[in-house]
Amino acid sequence: MAEHNPIIPREAIDRSFALKGPKQYTLWIDIEHCIGCNACTVACKAENNTPVGVDYTRVIEIEEGDFRDASKTPNVSVTFVPMPCMHCGRPACQAACPVGAITKRKEDGIVLINKDKCIGCRYCAWACPYGAPQFNAEARVMEKCTLCVHRVEKGLLPACVTTCPAKVRFFGELNELTTLMHGKRARSISISVAGADTKPSVQYTTTR
Amino acid sequence: MNAIVKIRAESPVQVESSLCARFRCTKSQCAACAIVCPVPGTVRFVEQGVEITEACVACGACASACPNGALRPLEGDRRLAERIRDRVRPAAAFRIACTRAKGRADIVLPCLSRLTEAIVLEPIRGGAARVEFLDPGCSGCGLKKAAPQWKKVLMFSRNICESAGFGVDRVARVSVPSGKPEEPRGRSASPNPRRAMFHAIAERWKASGASVPQEGEPKQTPAELFRDVVQRHHENPKRSDLLEILPSLPGAKLRSKVISAAGTPLADLEVDRHCVGCNVCETLCPVGALRHREEKGTYALEFDSALCTGCRVCEAACFYQAIHVRETVDLSVLFERPRVTLISAPRRTCQACGGTYLDGSSEFCSLCQVSGSRRDAVARRFFSGGITK
Repeated sequence: MAEHNPIIPREAIDRSFALKGPKQYTLWIDIEHCIGCNACTVACKAENNTPVGVDYTRVIEIEEGDFRDASKTPNVSVTFVPMPCMHCGRPACQAACPVGAITKRKEDGIVLINKDKCIGCRYCAWACPYGAPQFNAEARVMEKCTLCVHRVEKGLLPACVTTCPAKVRFFGELNELTTLMHGKRARSISISVAGADTKPSVQYTTTR
Repeated sequence: MNAIVKIRAESPVQVESSLCARFRCTKSQCAACAIVCPVPGTVRFVEQGVEITEACVACGACASACPNGALRPLEGDRRLAERIRDRVRPAAAFRIACTRAKGRADIVLPCLSRLTEAIVLEPIRGGAARVEFLDPGCSGCGLKKAAPQWKKVLMFSRNICESAGFGVDRVARVSVPSGKPEEPRGRSASPNPRRAMFHAIAERWKASGASVPQEGEPKQTPAELFRDVVQRHHENPKRSDLLEILPSLPGAKLRSKVISAAGTPLADLEVDRHCVGCNVCETLCPVGALRHREEKGTYALEFDSALCTGCRVCEAACFYQAIHVRETVDLSVLFERPRVTLISAPRRTCQACGGTYLDGSSEFCSLCQVSGSRRDAVARRFFSGGITK
């Protein structure tokens, strides 16, 4: 089964699931080893059955360097940054929603949109610094990454995590993951866009 | 029979959630009912807006305070107005008392804070010379927390009188010693109170639209989704009563009367250029005071100022902070009912996302412009020393 992962042992995941009380499930994404294959995007679409144009997780390509300057040796690189919902500690989308359709669950820290309440005003898409909420034009409601809450509640891992061929996405409780991260990968970063202090929970690591 | 008993045992105040500002917009700070409720712990804020618990003493202050008419006492405004209509004597003062006021009164209420503007103006419509509030002084009363509400209604009624060209003293407060009020029996009162009581139960039973529960499986009706509920706009009974009374006030000569909008169940709105035409204000407005119109690619937002109750849901909900409540409001809108166009601008379609927005210099909607720059911000974060240990 694809759940076998050389970096994160199954026991660590089980420990995350077994934790009682308020916790924060999250993802740890190793952008140093991401190959940008978009398998997570496809797996997510298949799992959540999202229509065209609605992607809960995307991969951003960041190119740097220059090869046109003949006097220097070409120094170009491309980095892939998968962008799921950050399941923020202080979600900007929740603060923007006029009808209270977005909630952050205390028991596992997952930020969810209640589609029965959502009026499709797109305020959350405007407020989110990471572009996570997506507008479903067919149903006229907003949708976003749920951290595969239907799978997690059954003790399974999110679809993107089990699918990732390069094994760069890890799922677990935030504190458990941080401990592991310090053992396996030295540097960790957490994206936060200037001017939006939303306390994103998703962790990125790189060896740079 | 059980169902009848159940109606009797219901809370004395019914809540029509779809008119409640808190239910429609969780950002709404409206707490009008909780502020005036004299019994602590009676009004609870829940997901369905508000809930009236069993501690309720049926004073009716919350129903008077709620600008949108979401709270309805068992003796509704219309039935109370009917009772008043029966007792009005033309060209005489109409005296309204609470249960602690000493003196002869035309009608006795549990508390003066039950009154609304429409009820106060009802005797004037019936030809009464004056409406007098018999005030025994609220400081010694258990319901004194509700006192500011009736004073507010008194002020608002006086302002309406002034706007209608009457003297302000048409509605006045009269200090009386505390004691027991004497209430005349209404002309239409039944000689048999027992029969009247059963008639009242039967009427309430009919009005509730309930049916005798059948033995067997209980019927399960699927709950309506919130987003479908907010698409409907219920009539605000308080405001429609007031608007019905105003044109029929005898001898009214309309005058402009500008008052401060703070604490008044009336407001004037303005919309600035930040509006993108998202229609959230229209959807969430509990009383349907805002309506949009789209013609030949032009978006127009229309405002019926006579329906606006100043609950500030639109102001709280607007993400772009484009809609504002003006500081003053002219009471003559209640008589004239003008339809104001708040904003009118050509609608444009975004080249990137296909969404619509209002006139701007760019070919892309502001959301797409911002998400592009945000993506850049993420990239910069990774590659310009933004990496932190």
